[in-house]
Amino acid sequence: MRRAFVLALAGMSVSLLVLEWGAGPTWGQEPIKIGASISLTGTYAKPGKYTQEGYLLCEKEINDKGGLLGRKVRYIIYDDKSDPLTAIKLYEKLITEDNVEHVMGPYSSPVTNAASTVSEKYQKVMMASLAATTSIWERGFKYLFMTISPAEVYLEGLVELAAERGLKTIAVMNEDTLFAKAAAKGAIELAKKRGMQVVFHEAYPKGTTDFSALLIKIKSLNPDVITGGTYFDDAVATTRQMKELDVNPRMYGVTVGGDLPEFYQLLGKTAEYVYGSSQWEENLLYPGIKEFVAAYEKMWNHEPAYHSAAGYGACRLLAEAIKRANSLDSEKIR
Amino acid sequence: MMQVQITGTMVLQIVVSGLLAGGLYALVALGLSLIFGVMRVINLAHGALLMLGAYTTYWLFALFGLNPFLSLLVSVPMLFVVGAVLQKLFVHRVVEAPELSSLLLTFGISIFIANVAMLAWSSDYRSVEFLTGSFILGQIAVSKPRLISFVAALGLTGLAFLLLHRTKIGKAIRATSQHRDVAQICGINVRRIDVITFGLGAGLAGAGGSLVSTMFAVYPEMGLIYVFKSFLVIALGGAGNYPGAFFGGLLLGLVEGLASLFLTAQLSEVIAYIFLVIVLLVRPAGLLGGRT
Repeated sequence: MRRAFVLALAGMSVSLLVLEWGAGPTWGQEPIKIGASISLTGTYAKPGKYTQEGYLLCEKEINDKGGLLGRKVRYIIYDDKSDPLTAIKLYEKLITEDNVEHVMGPYSSPVTNAASTVSEKYQKVMMASLAATTSIWERGFKYLFMTISPAEVYLEGLVELAAERGLKTIAVMNEDTLFAKAAAKGAIELAKKRGMQVVFHEAYPKGTTDFSALLIKIKSLNPDVITGGTYFDDAVATTRQMKELDVNPRMYGVTVGGDLPEFYQLLGKTAEYVYGSSQWEENLLYPGIKEFVAAYEKMWNHEPAYHSAAGYGACRLLAEAIKRANSLDSEKIR
Repeated sequence: MMQVQITGTMVLQIVVSGLLAGGLYALVALGLSLIFGVMRVINLAHGALLMLGAYTTYWLFALFGLNPFLSLLVSVPMLFVVGAVLQKLFVHRVVEAPELSSLLLTFGISIFIANVAMLAWSSDYRSVEFLTGSFILGQIAVSKPRLISFVAALGLTGLAFLLLHRTKIGKAIRATSQHRDVAQICGINVRRIDVITFGLGAGLAGAGGSLVSTMFAVYPEMGLIYVFKSFLVIALGGAGNYPGAFFGGLLLGLVEGLASLFLTAQLSEVIAYIFLVIVLLVRPAGLLGGRT
């Protein structure tokens, strides 16, 4: 009985060896581990998932093309529950326990702001994919890199459009966190520059579901434009409650939310005529976009959002940097 | 920046919205208060049960197009069964144990349920787009889903009161809540009452979930804020005091609304808790006192 067991075990390990051998040039070498935490649950879960899908598509493509420095790449991703404190613990764990070589950024400014303190402490490169708030980049960190344009310009298009059309007054609301605050601040400054009157500005805490009082105050001022520094959930809730409370501005736009296909799926007709802002669209004319969209749709069975593209792009950027440095050393990659 | 002129109409609008929200808080808190009153068990899984109610409504609506308010007829009995099973399997073990045990147990149950929901249905936000828009009365907008939910919440709360005060089983529940040992000596099967009470509490949470789903997004962790609000409501009204839970709910809705109207949305939660502290200082047993 015992002998049979040992034999079976030996057989299994042989077959495992063969399997590994079959995997290509990487046999015998450890894969390059890249770590990240992503908001897979909690208030940032929606865009977070797109980011993760971008990372994983990039991982697959690199490995299909023979890996990096002759080694496979393996992503280790944990769920930070949209919580900066959880992200700090996870990056600590990624770097000290999982021994990842480098890290990719989590989703959102507040979480990146917190998590990057850990990667900086251990001198690991963090390629932040979706952290748009300028203040994150003004702390003098050496190992943190950015891929998207800053939060302050998210609402630029909306405000420009409103000013060109001769709209005069604007009301601004925002979630009381890093990115949304910066987006609102940018919108206010630009509106003032373009001669519009900012009639209202108020922040609300993360996780707010009932916006009645805020919207009633805005309604009483009857502004031409209403805009919000939002993430997904609050964008959905405000849009819905504006309709319920019969708030009808000439123009209404949000930051994150309006750009995701789910916004329309959730709200249906209520979502129409709402402006959204995006960092990337699939009909841009950069090389490689068509291939990316096709590969993405094949892997995940749905369209990419700009968060997917930013995640994918940041990951490719890190890979390219490692390739050019021909090393995993943080100093050389920089 | 223009100064917001707060007019009478605006205050009235907020009072209406606040009461509408408060009715729902009351319904959810009543279930929690019932369970606490009878068993001294603080049910942290209440939010998870609410979430199950919301998903019941969502799926019945998404798959069969069932009217979300009619789906109460499914979600309430279903959650009653879920609650009764939870009680039979787990919760009865902590009924006479220190409160910390019940906290730990129900916290565990709530994490389990939320994570199973996440695996089964993902953490996507879903919504029941059934009724949107509002009735306009003069200058006041009354949101349709909120109004109907409010009426349904009042109806259910009324039914629960009738059950507690007019039926034999209700009287047995109240007797057990007043004095467990004496109730047992009088021939009440308290174990059975526990099962029924937990079922009822869960049923009320499920009803709350069904109604919430017509207004807000449905996702696995949606119940959490309702647990916190329910604690506030219960502390305001008096622990184990059922009419107290009702008035506490309405009051919380009002306070939150008015605070964000006169101050800012950021401060409304702070004000709600400051209000609680003041109530507890002045009337430590809650506005309407302890158990009834």
